[in-house]
Amino acid sequence: MSRAFLFVDDSPLHHQMYRLIFTRGPLAGNTLYHASNGREGYALLTQHPELTLVFLDLNMPEMNGLELLARRAVEGLHPHVPIVLVTTESAEEDEARARTAGAWDYLRKPFQPSDVERLVARALAQAPGTAA
Amino acid sequence: MPGDNAFGELIDEYVVECLPLAERAADALVELERRRRAGTGGEELLGSIEGWLHTVKGNSAMMGLAAIQEAAHVLEDLCAALADQRGPTGEALLALMVEGGGLLVDQVRGAPTGAAPEGSAAWLSRARERAGADHAGNGRGADRRRGERRRGGAESDGANVVRVDFRRLDTLLEVLGEGLIEQAALVEAFRRVSRRTAAVPGMPDLDRAILALEKTMKRLEEIVMATRLLPISTVFGRFPRLLRGVAEGEGKRVRLLMAGGDTALDKAVLDRLGEPLLHLLTNAVVHGIESPAERRRAGKPEEGVLSLAAISRSGRVAIEVADDGRGLDEERIRARAAAMGIEPGAEGADPQGLIFQPGFSTAESVSGLAGRGVGLDVAAAAVRALGGTIAVRSQGGQGSAFLLDLPLTLAIVRSLIVEVDQERYAVPIAQVVATVRADPKALHQINHRGVAVWRGDLIQVTDGGELLGTGSDVEPPGERRGRRFYVVISSGGRRRGILVDRLIGHMDVVVKGLDPALGRPDVVSGTTILGDGRVACILDPVRILEQRVPA
Repeated sequence: MSRAFLFVDDSPLHHQMYRLIFTRGPLAGNTLYHASNGREGYALLTQHPELTLVFLDLNMPEMNGLELLARRAVEGLHPHVPIVLVTTESAEEDEARARTAGAWDYLRKPFQPSDVERLVARALAQAPGTAA
Repeated sequence: MPGDNAFGELIDEYVVECLPLAERAADALVELERRRRAGTGGEELLGSIEGWLHTVKGNSAMMGLAAIQEAAHVLEDLCAALADQRGPTGEALLALMVEGGGLLVDQVRGAPTGAAPEGSAAWLSRARERAGADHAGNGRGADRRRGERRRGGAESDGANVVRVDFRRLDTLLEVLGEGLIEQAALVEAFRRVSRRTAAVPGMPDLDRAILALEKTMKRLEEIVMATRLLPISTVFGRFPRLLRGVAEGEGKRVRLLMAGGDTALDKAVLDRLGEPLLHLLTNAVVHGIESPAERRRAGKPEEGVLSLAAISRSGRVAIEVADDGRGLDEERIRARAAAMGIEPGAEGADPQGLIFQPGFSTAESVSGLAGRGVGLDVAAAAVRALGGTIAVRSQGGQGSAFLLDLPLTLAIVRSLIVEVDQERYAVPIAQVVATVRADPKALHQINHRGVAVWRGDLIQVTDGGELLGTGSDVEPPGERRGRRFYVVISSGGRRRGILVDRLIGHMDVVVKGLDPALGRPDVVSGTTILGDGRVACILDPVRILEQRVPA
């Protein structure tokens, strides 16, 4: 069954990297949505309650990752969709804040395809209805 | 190495994204240094610099480019340290960072080959030491501040911007060119038919449709050309950093002012503009601007001012490179030219024109940068090869200004189509000042050279066939019967008439490159295809005007 993923990042390079991970190997064949800032990302999240997992960059123009999480919490938008906050090292405080703001987990750069695969597997195991 | 990394195949995308960021960071460091020296702050730049470095660091880490990641990381740490450093310590630290910024740019640029720029390892160990010393005292505080500033410094590329591989734009232009040729063929066929057949029903409709098509194609052409235009700041951007190094090496203090960075030019022109501009700027620092001591003696501020300005005007772009240095030494230029056996050109004894003559250089001492045997003639040749002109204005003790005039694009040239000995040629309109009916009474021979009186001036008139090697040898010079017109071309203050048989009309021609193997005379810059499918050579007025055509 095809699943849907959303990538919110202002770096075209990172979108290309996600595309590589999600078009080859075990994650191939899913529906992918791409947004280049938090505002676009939020709009896509609104339209797609079926998302399996969202990868959200921390530092972005026009609504950063934390702002997106905060807004979702306030509006109660699709709380079942897990969001992974993507950070760099030296941002422990941000990661703690992200947890508070409702991030499901975080992913530190640099990451490998296998890190992404593990996160997806965990998200699927938790997702309601997958067991059936 | 990128090859071992899961994302190694994205190395080109990595460079596309990171090189501008590294350049911005490096340039901003230079600017920060300048402002600090001038005592005008510049601290607000630090946040942006850190933001750019941070992205470069993260992307390099993802790509497994450990050396670049480390360099960006150390620079980022130094930014945090610098915020609290003033005085000589801060100055030394900033100098170290400026050096690092330049190396980072080279590292990112060289990432696809894995080439490490000279000195990068040595820089890193020095910088690491420095960053370590500061870390002991600062630690998390600096880190935290950095995070705050970074969020403020993030910048938007705008939601409606897409990146397109430039090769696609080249293909688009090629297809447009074919469309223009086909359109011209259609128009020509229609004219032929309508001349022969009187009032066939539907003719006016066809005429209207063709007119509408012409309008649409014209618009399409404008839009395609506009997508190829980039701001000249993409070329200007690297100059502050490069010139800083030159000035330092020469022991000079130079302030670079830049204006008109948003002036747009075709990328193909921009790509070939960086070298000649850098050459002129380097030349100004090395030969134009005096040492601080010399400037003081001359009653000038110790810091020399070098300005680079661009402005667009009616399909061309003018660029000025000016300095407030000592100006050209005309005596020395004349003596040097005589010693080198360079003859003054057609412009006579104008010493200012001599500096563009091939092989010319007055440099007596071989300095590190300007003494590589490359003179202004090379910069001038590069400008002319772009279809541009170069001139210099200089005043002893007050400075010099180099004036460049360049076409917006190399791809499409509005041209006058002429016919000489049954062959058609395109003459770029930019250099055509007039077309004149060749009245035999107004054409004269002076010293075996054809001349004509044009607008009260005597101008040299050359036979088109002779210029292009199509004329018959039988006709004696001066007896060019049948050539009914001459076209007056002008560039860089020189003028010349070219005798042609027919004037066909105006047309936007799409420039096709010239196969160097063809060995055409160098008065031709390229070829194009005309409406009737015939290939026509595009004349190069600048080269023609430079030639000293024999009688």
